[in-house]
Amino acid sequence: MNKSPSSFALPASGVLLASLVLPGLAALATFAPLTASAETAPEQTTVSVKYGNYQDSQANWDRVKVNAAQVYVQAPIAGEWSIEASGVSDNVSGATPYAHSHKSGASGGGKTGMSDERHAGDVKITRYLPRAAISASLAYSTEHDYKSTAVGLDARWSSDDNNRTWTVGYGNSHDTIDNSYSGGSIVGKHKNTNEFMGGVTQVLTPTDIAQFNLTRSIGSGYYDDPYKNYDSRPDRRNAWIGLARWNHYVSAFDASIRTSYRYYSDTFGVASHTAGIEWVQPTGRWTFTPGLRYYSQSAANFYFDPVLTAQGQYDSFGTLLRAFNMTGNKSADQRLAAFGALTLSMKASYAVTPNVVADVKYERYRQSAALHLGSAGSPGLDAFKANFMQVGLSYRF
Amino acid sequence: MISNPAMNKIILRVFTITALAWLGGCSSLGQVNAWEKGNLAKPMMTFESDPLDQRFVQHVYGSKENSSGGYGVGGGGCGCN
Repeated sequence: MNKSPSSFALPASGVLLASLVLPGLAALATFAPLTASAETAPEQTTVSVKYGNYQDSQANWDRVKVNAAQVYVQAPIAGEWSIEASGVSDNVSGATPYAHSHKSGASGGGKTGMSDERHAGDVKITRYLPRAAISASLAYSTEHDYKSTAVGLDARWSSDDNNRTWTVGYGNSHDTIDNSYSGGSIVGKHKNTNEFMGGVTQVLTPTDIAQFNLTRSIGSGYYDDPYKNYDSRPDRRNAWIGLARWNHYVSAFDASIRTSYRYYSDTFGVASHTAGIEWVQPTGRWTFTPGLRYYSQSAANFYFDPVLTAQGQYDSFGTLLRAFNMTGNKSADQRLAAFGALTLSMKASYAVTPNVVADVKYERYRQSAALHLGSAGSPGLDAFKANFMQVGLSYRF
Repeated sequence: MISNPAMNKIILRVFTITALAWLGGCSSLGQVNAWEKGNLAKPMMTFESDPLDQRFVQHVYGSKENSSGGYGVGGGGCGCN
């Protein structure tokens, strides 16, 4: 009998802890489809590799291209521990605007273009206890002009009936920004961020499980973008982030619906809404996962709109004059404007054997002021598009 | 677009009340027996099915949008373009 990845069921007693593990670097705590529950150490070693490609563009302008190779290993230790490690190496090239979405004078806009490499790695140790797990992690990332070191601690424990699990976590990251290697004027600037997270995951019915996380992020240091014109940002950024997720099993199709909503609000004045939905459909050895994501954010309170000509064209001199006459913090970074974004995705995975799974995923992303929730977003910005693709292979033994 | 501080507080309160309800206010919620959890145990029901996939995607979104985080702690930053 052929088994799809989705048929490698987790032990029922471990459903909760296994399902609440979180993404980002911290997400590497588990490789959910191929491991046991979170309160017992994995019995097998899992190795995963993935290659990602990203290309973004706006009208008549291909901007940034990224190629990223990732590897992940999880191994059991002495029955009650596990160790996980991952690494990523990516290459970034292309050009980004100095202000708004204006092409003229973009960074790397010349023949040679901008190019950078990022290498990052992390390791995580987890100790498993009866109905509980405690993890400690360390992460490091380096680029030509940016270095980041992060540590994390998290604990999770479940109720006696395994229907409810609580999570608490703390993370600290310390970043250094220095572009003097290329003749830049930013030398040894720092940024420090503390994150505190609490969450609960709850089995609701035999076909429904939900999760709620609340994160408080407190940051201080250097937030300017040294590659943007007229960029001067506050030296503190605190944020509240609420995340709610709900998964529903659809018996009629032996499929599931995964939904999520994230609310984000920070002291830059940006508030955002992120909603996502996926349909996971196993069919024999195959599993197909189409998805839809919608995002909308308000503008930072120090973001300023460009000056446009009577014909609606970007007025470089007028914008420069506007920036020059502004006092205090200011930024023309498109990412701080008011806009919306939509992503369509499709993922297909194939179980070559019960222990080997190959997958491919394609995503198409569009960002524009017209997609802003409820009203028109920031004026004078070109629509922005991106395509990203991933190919991966996982093996356990 | 919701952006004013008052509306932000309202949304955060809704989140908090929901969490508190789960934590203690609704003691009868989710009384599911172990033998009824077969479907919940399927990998398709996990919140994170592919961490490398999510890591790549969240890195992209964090580079092109202002908001990031909320999914976990312990990750580092980047000088993303």
